[in-house]
Amino acid sequence: MTGTWLPYNTLVVAAGVAAVGLAAGVVGSFTLLRKRPLVGDAAAHATLAGVAGAFLVSGRRDLPMLLAGALAAAVAGLAALVLIRRFTKTRDDAATALVVGVGFGAGIVLVSGITARGIPDGAGLETFLLGHTAALTAADATLLAAVSIAAVAVVLLILKEATLVAFDAEFAAATGWPVTLIDLVLVTLVAVMVVVGLPAAGAVLVTALVVIPPLAARQWTERVTTMLVLAGGFGLTAAVAGVAVTSRVPGLATGPVVVLAAAAIFAVSLVFAPRRGLLARRQEARRGRAAEEHRP
Amino acid sequence: MIPEFHLWAMATAAAVAASCATVGTLLVVRRMSLVGDAIAHALLPGIAVAVLAGGRPGGVLVFVAAVAASLATVGLTHWLRSAGGIAEDAGLGVVFTTFFALGVVLVSAAARRIDLDPACVLYGILELVPFDTVAILGREIPRGFLSAVAVLAAVAIGLAATWKFQVFTAFDADAARAAGVPVAAVTTGLLAATAVATVSGFEVAGAILVVAMLVAPAAAAELLVRRLSLVMLVAVLLGVTAAVVGYLLAWRWNTNAAGMIAVVLGAEYLAAVVFAADDGLVARGLRQGAFAWRVACEDRLAAVWRGVEKASGGVQASVGGRDAGVGGGQAEAARGVPLPLPRGLLDRAALLWLRASGRLHVIAGRAWLSDVGRREAEVVVRSHRLWEAWLGRHAELPLDHLHPPAEWVEHHLGAAMRQRIEAEVGLREADPHGRDIPPE
Amino acid sequence: MPPDAPLLEFHDVSVAYGGRPEIWNVDLTIDRACLFGIIGPNGAGKSTLLKAALGLVPLVGGSVRFHGEPIDRVRRDVGYVPQRETVDWDFPVTVMDVVLMGTYARLGWFRRPGSREQTLARESLARVGLADLATRQIGRLSGGQQQRVFLARALAQDAGIYLLDEPMAGVDAASQEQIFAVLTELRAADKLVVVVHHDLRTAAAWFDRVALIDRRLVAAGPTAAVLTPDNLRRTYAGEIDLLQEVGQAIAARGRTE
Repeated sequence: MTGTWLPYNTLVVAAGVAAVGLAAGVVGSFTLLRKRPLVGDAAAHATLAGVAGAFLVSGRRDLPMLLAGALAAAVAGLAALVLIRRFTKTRDDAATALVVGVGFGAGIVLVSGITARGIPDGAGLETFLLGHTAALTAADATLLAAVSIAAVAVVLLILKEATLVAFDAEFAAATGWPVTLIDLVLVTLVAVMVVVGLPAAGAVLVTALVVIPPLAARQWTERVTTMLVLAGGFGLTAAVAGVAVTSRVPGLATGPVVVLAAAAIFAVSLVFAPRRGLLARRQEARRGRAAEEHRP
Repeated sequence: MIPEFHLWAMATAAAVAASCATVGTLLVVRRMSLVGDAIAHALLPGIAVAVLAGGRPGGVLVFVAAVAASLATVGLTHWLRSAGGIAEDAGLGVVFTTFFALGVVLVSAAARRIDLDPACVLYGILELVPFDTVAILGREIPRGFLSAVAVLAAVAIGLAATWKFQVFTAFDADAARAAGVPVAAVTTGLLAATAVATVSGFEVAGAILVVAMLVAPAAAAELLVRRLSLVMLVAVLLGVTAAVVGYLLAWRWNTNAAGMIAVVLGAEYLAAVVFAADDGLVARGLRQGAFAWRVACEDRLAAVWRGVEKASGGVQASVGGRDAGVGGGQAEAARGVPLPLPRGLLDRAALLWLRASGRLHVIAGRAWLSDVGRREAEVVVRSHRLWEAWLGRHAELPLDHLHPPAEWVEHHLGAAMRQRIEAEVGLREADPHGRDIPPE
Repeated sequence: MPPDAPLLEFHDVSVAYGGRPEIWNVDLTIDRACLFGIIGPNGAGKSTLLKAALGLVPLVGGSVRFHGEPIDRVRRDVGYVPQRETVDWDFPVTVMDVVLMGTYARLGWFRRPGSREQTLARESLARVGLADLATRQIGRLSGGQQQRVFLARALAQDAGIYLLDEPMAGVDAASQEQIFAVLTELRAADKLVVVVHHDLRTAAAWFDRVALIDRRLVAAGPTAAVLTPDNLRRTYAGEIDLLQEVGQAIAARGRTE
C-alpha cells in the first residue's frame, strides 16, 4: 500500500486529517441538535485574522503557532456574537453575517498587507483560505489528531449532559445542571474543531465539515449515539477523500474536495435513508394513499 | 492630487456599496441576512459556468447566471425543508458551502483557460478595475464602474417600483399576503436584486466581503433610526463612506481595499452601538444615570418630609412656611428635623444639589424643606401612599408588604396615573397604614 | 431544615422580564401536601411564577423557599413538568431516553444510567400507562402521550414536590383523566402537587386549593372559598391595564402619563 502508490507522509497526514473529520462530525452533531448549526461560521471566517496576526506577532510559521492565533480569533468572533446579542438589538442572523464579513475582512487586510510588504515567509498564508493538506508535516498531522481525539473524548464524557441540554434546556436547568457552562463547552469545542480543520478545509469551507456530516447522519437514525458514530464516519470519509484527491492533483485546494465529498454523502443520505429518505417517504405516502383507497 | 484611477476605483466601490446597502436593508429587516450570505457564496459556480460558456465578467450572461444561481440556492433550501425535513439554517449551510466548493473547483480547473482570476473570488480585484476601460464619448471609462452604476440604477428603479410592497412584506409578511400582496413575487424580486448587487460586488470585493457590504450598513443604520426609508438612506450613506474611507486607508497602508472597506464597515457598526442616540451604550448609560439621580433626589426629599411629619405627630408642616433663606437662623433650625443619613455617594451628591438649588436647608445637622422642596416631596409621598392603597385593594398582601413595592413604584407615577388610582380607591385620605395622603 | 417550615412559600415575590415587572409581590404559602392549582388568564404570569420558584427566571424581589430552603439546595426533591412546546419532538430520542433524563440529576456528572435507573424509569412509565411504548421515538406520540412522557420523567425524579406547567393543555380527555389519576396518587402518597391550569371548570373539580393570579395574587385558599364570582371578576376583568402601564414606565425608567 505504501511506497510507490502513496508516500508514507501522505498516509500520516491522511490519518491525522481523518481524525479531524471524525471529530468535526461528532462535535457538529451537537450543534445541530442544539439547533445552532452555523455558529461555527462566524468563528471560521475570523480565524484568518488570527493566523495572520500570530505570524506577525511571533514571526513564526509553524502550524501550532498559527493555529493558536486562529483559536484566539475564533473565540473572539464567538465572543463578538455573544456581546452583540447581549448589548444590541441586532438580531442573530445579522450578527453572524456581520462577524463573518468584517472578521474575514480583517483577515484579508492582514494577509494582503503581509504579502504586499514581502515579509519573509509571509507568502502562503492564503492556503488557510481553502485548505492545503499537501503542506502538512507528520508532526503537524499528529497534533491535529491528538486535539481531535481529545475533543471526541470530552464529548463522550459529557454525552448525557450535552444530550439533555440539547433536548430540553429548561428541564436541565430546573434539575440543577449548569446549562450555560455546558453550552460554553460545546461552543468551545466547535471553535477548536474549526481551527483544527483549517488545514483540511480552509477558513471559508471548514464550517461544512461541522454541518454536513451530522446532517447526513441524522437521516439514518433516531438514536443520538448512532448519529454520532455515523457523523464521525462520514466526516472521516470526506476528509480522507480530500487528502487523497489533492495529493494526486497538485495545486488543487483540499477544502472544496472535502466539501464535495461530504455533499455527495449527504445527497445519498437524503435520497436513500430508510424512513427519513426521500424514496422512503414517497413509498410511505403511496402506501398511505393505497390504504385510503381500500378503506370501505 | 489623487491619481484618476484611484478616483474611478473609489467611485466603483461606492456605487457597489450603495447597491448592496439598499438591498441589504431589506434583507436585514426581513431576517434574511444569512440568505444574503448564502447567495454571495453560491453565486460562484453560476458565474464560473457563465464565464466558461463565453460570457464576459460583468456581462449580461454572468448576471443572468447569478440570478439563476441565487434562486436555485433559495429554492433548493426550501425544497430540502419541505421534502426532506431539513431545518432552514442547516439546509442553507449545506447548499452554500457545496455550491461554493463547486465554484472553486470550476474556477481552478478553468483558471488557465479563462480570464477569471481565482483571487477575485475571495477578495475582489478592486485595484485593477480602473484599468479595464471602454471608450465612451472619447473618454476611457472603466467597464466595472459602468456596470456598477447600471446595477445601482436597476436596483433603485426596481425598488422604487415595488416600494410599498417591499415595506409591507418586510414588516409583516403574513399580513401582506392576507392583504393580497404577491409576497412570493416580492421576495423573488428581492432575491434577484440581491444576486445582481452581489455580482456587481464580486469584482470589487469578492464573495465574502460582499456580505459585509450587504449587512453591516443596515445593521448599523437600524440602531440609529427607526423608519425603514431612513434606515435605507443611512445605510447607503454608511456604505458609501466606508467604501471611500476604506479604499483610501488601504492605499495608505498598502493592503487589500475590499478587506479594509469591510473593516471600516465594522468600525461604523461599533460606533453606532456605542453612540446611537436611543439605543447606544452611551445613551443607555446616561439614561440610567439620570434615573438613578432622580431617584436619589426624590428619596432624600421624601425622607426629610417624612421626618417632619413624624416630628409634628402626623400633622402636615404648615403650608404657609416661608423659605428660610439666609436669615433663618436658630429659630428655623429648632423647627427642622435631624438630617436623615445619606446611604452612599449618590445620596450625598443629591443632598448637595438639593441644598444648592434651594429645595433643602440644612443648618447644624437639622433639615427642613423650602416650599418647592416640600411640593416635590409631597408628589413622591402621594405616589407612594396611593400605590399602597391600590395594592391593598387589589392584591392579597399583608400590611407590612406594602411599603417595599411602593418604594420603587413611587418614582414612576405621573399626574394622570395618580388621578386614576385615586378615582379607583375612592378619594380616600389615608393609606392602609392610616397615614394621610398628601393632596395633588 | 426547619421542622415546621411550609412545603412551599412565596414571600413577596416579584419577577421582571427585561426590566418590566411581570409579577408583583406575590405572597403565597402552601403548608400541606395537596393538589394545588394556580389559575388565571393568559399572560397573567402563572408560568412565570413556577419558573421563578425553580430559579429559571431571576427574582427582582422576595424569595421562594421549599421546606424553608432555597431551591438550589433542594432541587433533588422538586419534580418539574414543563410545557410541551419547549421541546422539539423530532429529536432523536426514545420515550425511555426521555424518562431516564429524570434520573440524571441523581447520577451526577459523567456517570451513565445503570440498572437501578432503568428500573425506576420503567416503573414510572408503567404508572402513566406507557410501558409498551418505551422504545418509540418521541415524535411518534400523540399530544396526550407526550405529556405523559414528561410526567413519567418527573416521576423518575422521585421527588416530594411536583410543579407542572399546563399539563392538560392540548391533551385529549382520556389522557387528561389518566394524568389526573396519577396526580391523585401522588397526593395520596403525601406529595405536594402544584399545577398551573387554564380551565376553570375542571379546576373547580380537581384541586383542593387554588390561587388566583393576575400578575399579582388576587386570592388563595380552599377551592370553593376562592372561586367566587367576585374573585373571578377581579382576576379576569382586566384591571391589569394599570399594572401594565406602570410596568412599562418602570422598564423605560420614566413616568407614566
